[in-house]
Amino acid sequence: MKITINQIPCECERGESILQIARRNGIEIPTLCWHDGFPGQGACRLCIVEVIEGGRAKIVVSCVYPVERECEVLTESEKVRRQRGMILALLRKKAPDSPEIQALCERYHAPEIERFLPETGSRCVMCGLCVKACGELSVGAIATVNRGVEKEIATPYHEPSSACVGCGSCAYVCPAGAIPVQEMEDVRIIWGKTFSLVHCQDCGRVIGTAEELAAAAKKSGQEPDTLCADCRKKMIALSFRHTYGEIHR
Amino acid sequence: MKTIRICCGTGCLANGSLLVAEEFEKKISQASVDAAVECVAKRTGCHGLCEDGPIVTIMPDNICYYHVRPKDVDEILEKTIANDTPVERLLYQNEQGVKIMSQRENPFYAHQTKIALRNVGTISPDSLEDYLAADGYKALKKALTMSPEEILTEMERSGLRGRGGAGFPTGRKWRTAAGYDVFPKYVVCNGDEGDPGAFMDGSILEGDPHSVLEGMAICALAIGAEEGFLYIRDEYVHARRSIKEAIRQAEAAGILGDNIMGSGKKLHLSIVRGGGAFVCGESTALMASIEGRVGEPRAKYIRSVQKGLWDHPTVLNNVETLANVPYIILHGGASYAAVGTGGSKGTKVFAMVGKVKRTGLVEVPMGATLRELIFDIGGGIRNGRPFKAVQTGGPSGGCIPESMLDLPVDFDTLKKYGAMMGSGGMIVMDDRSCMVEVARYYVQFLCGESCGKCTPCREGLKQMLAILTDICEGRGRIEDLDLLEALGETMQEASLCALGKSAPNPVLTTLKYFRGEYEAHILEHRCPAGVCTKLTSFAIDPDKCRGCTACARACPVNAVAGTARHPHAIDAALCIRCGSCREACRFDAVYTEGRDLS
Ligand SMILES: Cc1cc2nc3c(=O)[nH]c(=O)nc-3n(C[C@H](O)[C@H](O)[C@H](O)COP(=O)(O)O)c2cc1C
Ligand code: FES
Repeated sequence: MKITINQIPCECERGESILQIARRNGIEIPTLCWHDGFPGQGACRLCIVEVIEGGRAKIVVSCVYPVERECEVLTESEKVRRQRGMILALLRKKAPDSPEIQALCERYHAPEIERFLPETGSRCVMCGLCVKACGELSVGAIATVNRGVEKEIATPYHEPSSACVGCGSCAYVCPAGAIPVQEMEDVRIIWGKTFSLVHCQDCGRVIGTAEELAAAAKKSGQEPDTLCADCRKKMIALSFRHTYGEIHR
Repeated sequence: MKTIRICCGTGCLANGSLLVAEEFEKKISQASVDAAVECVAKRTGCHGLCEDGPIVTIMPDNICYYHVRPKDVDEILEKTIANDTPVERLLYQNEQGVKIMSQRENPFYAHQTKIALRNVGTISPDSLEDYLAADGYKALKKALTMSPEEILTEMERSGLRGRGGAGFPTGRKWRTAAGYDVFPKYVVCNGDEGDPGAFMDGSILEGDPHSVLEGMAICALAIGAEEGFLYIRDEYVHARRSIKEAIRQAEAAGILGDNIMGSGKKLHLSIVRGGGAFVCGESTALMASIEGRVGEPRAKYIRSVQKGLWDHPTVLNNVETLANVPYIILHGGASYAAVGTGGSKGTKVFAMVGKVKRTGLVEVPMGATLRELIFDIGGGIRNGRPFKAVQTGGPSGGCIPESMLDLPVDFDTLKKYGAMMGSGGMIVMDDRSCMVEVARYYVQFLCGESCGKCTPCREGLKQMLAILTDICEGRGRIEDLDLLEALGETMQEASLCALGKSAPNPVLTTLKYFRGEYEAHILEHRCPAGVCTKLTSFAIDPDKCRGCTACARACPVNAVAGTARHPHAIDAALCIRCGSCREACRFDAVYTEGRDLS
């Protein structure tokens, strides 16, 4: 079927989200809580667009709104800009210390509302991606705690989590740079816990924390890695050559 | 044979009705051998006029007693039961001083029409026999002879709309769920009732549990479900016990369970304890909670009738909605639709509380006006003070001013004016309620009750509370009012669930109908109602004060000085501005003024 986004005709499948269709067609819609690996949270509300269906216009959240029939989508209507501006104005105060969020506000011309109280020292916008990443890729060491305006993301009882393996997936997916990771020669500090880093036996590059590698090994039932991905490839190539000799093309 | 109905609803229990019931039971069993008249004592659900409880009614004499104490029991047995004469002092006395015998003639009840509450207060909730004697499970029996299509048609004909707040047509909801060929399907009863001050659903669950089970069973037949859940608010211990017992009885009698009334059809019902959060009453959060996940709502672009519990077709209905169903099937959709207005059929139960003379549980035809509810049934405002506003729909509702009292109460009218029917909470306010503070109260409530997942609701509520608190404490700016409106619009448009979408309603309606009050706070640093303590000082008008000392005795900090029969005065330095003196004064001599903030 076909829909139009900002008057541009776009081919799509029934049930696809508007965001997916827009991205495929190179149309920009800002997002915070959406990630390829973890779609469908619909929490940040930044991706709102206006949909006109059967003559009626409504604001929907493009990352979860499934297209069921032909419609017209506007990503930059007056209403979208106004509401998105207000959402960003709120986030600006939620994460005043996050350069990423402040840059997003500039880019989408969010109003600076002096009247709103800033949350001191905060970078987090509560998008929830870190919790998803930790739960689905790693060990589920962090979670949202409290509800309402007090909601936050934390380790159990705000203490260094015994489950955390220091993999850093949470920091990697965070769109606001809100999870501090300190990395020195041999240690990584994250969520208040210090992990020793394992280096590739060949090239010396960091391949992860000891705990992370042990957890991955336990999952796969193999010995923990000692080489980085590149050196492992190199090693496989070497043994290939050892077995088959030089291949001439 | 006489029946003594002792109200054991939550309100009357709190007033000691259990002791009254025990006293009756004891006395009857002792005297039963030689009693001239046979009689039984029955513990029933809420009679509605909780204010005047414990309530006792005697049938068939149709005599209703109020404020009954255990020491009154002997007299009632002797006079009314044995000799058919009323105990005058326990009767209701109307405004003209006339004693009223029957419940029907009491102005509180005279304007009511009971459908959802038809058995609440008349039958014993613990007794299946009582329910059966009141035509119970006849509708289910009839439904078993009907095809699903016929049940759906009857439900659509009734025009019943969901009583949980959104007012979605029940028949249409059922039909959509019936249309999916995906099994198993589920039927769920929403008994989470989280609005502050509301007790409609709790009263039905406690007072007439079988009517809810019967409604669920009829729904199950119509959509093809064999399993159901009743999600009941954590605090509702009595309701849970009552429902549990009702399920047990109905299963033991072969009415529910593996073989519904011998038809070969099945329905298994279980109780789920609520997660203890207001947001868990929202349909998708409730289902997440039943599945054992965190009670957070999800986007509803795909409806629960298609993918609800465990992604299977699910019908979720409110307690009151379900209690109406047996009536509709038994008497026909058309007879139900004969009550109410064009767009809102049937009746609605309200829990009327606040500054109204008679508070309690009432059921009126849709389209009754707010004036009828508050003045005819509720008897008007306490202590002769002027009416100021009525808040309908709880935290998602709005405040309606005096000029709109003649509006009919139905889904569409209330919505049109920015308020909401909600589930039926109704808080009546007099001139001593500050509308800014009311708005602030609800926003604060929601700050703690929002799930905190989406930005507009979580961050919007937080900033709204800060601004409203500033206004209440004299730090407001006049531009704040436009900002509150703009913020409210974004919350309405962009929030994830109906909690956030409706959260600004109390703010937006008070801004619309009571803007002057906001302006007085901001521009004059004055709270016209004398509620916001930072902006209020209390004083006594020496011309009105009779020196009765009531205020001095009421003051918790001894800030009122004066001798009896001479005008009193308040020491501003000691006064904590709690308003106790004003409440205590019978001569309207205590008044409030703004405070000099500098
Ligand atoms: C925040 C929130 C709280 C709600 N709480 C309740 C509740 O306590 N009881 C209820 O029946 N419906 C509640 N609802 C409405 C339900 O989501 C749903 O619309 C209703 O239970 C459907 O049943 P009905 O069609 O019979 O009204 C709530 C909605 C929201 C957004
Ligand atoms: S990206 Fe759609 S709501 Fe966050």
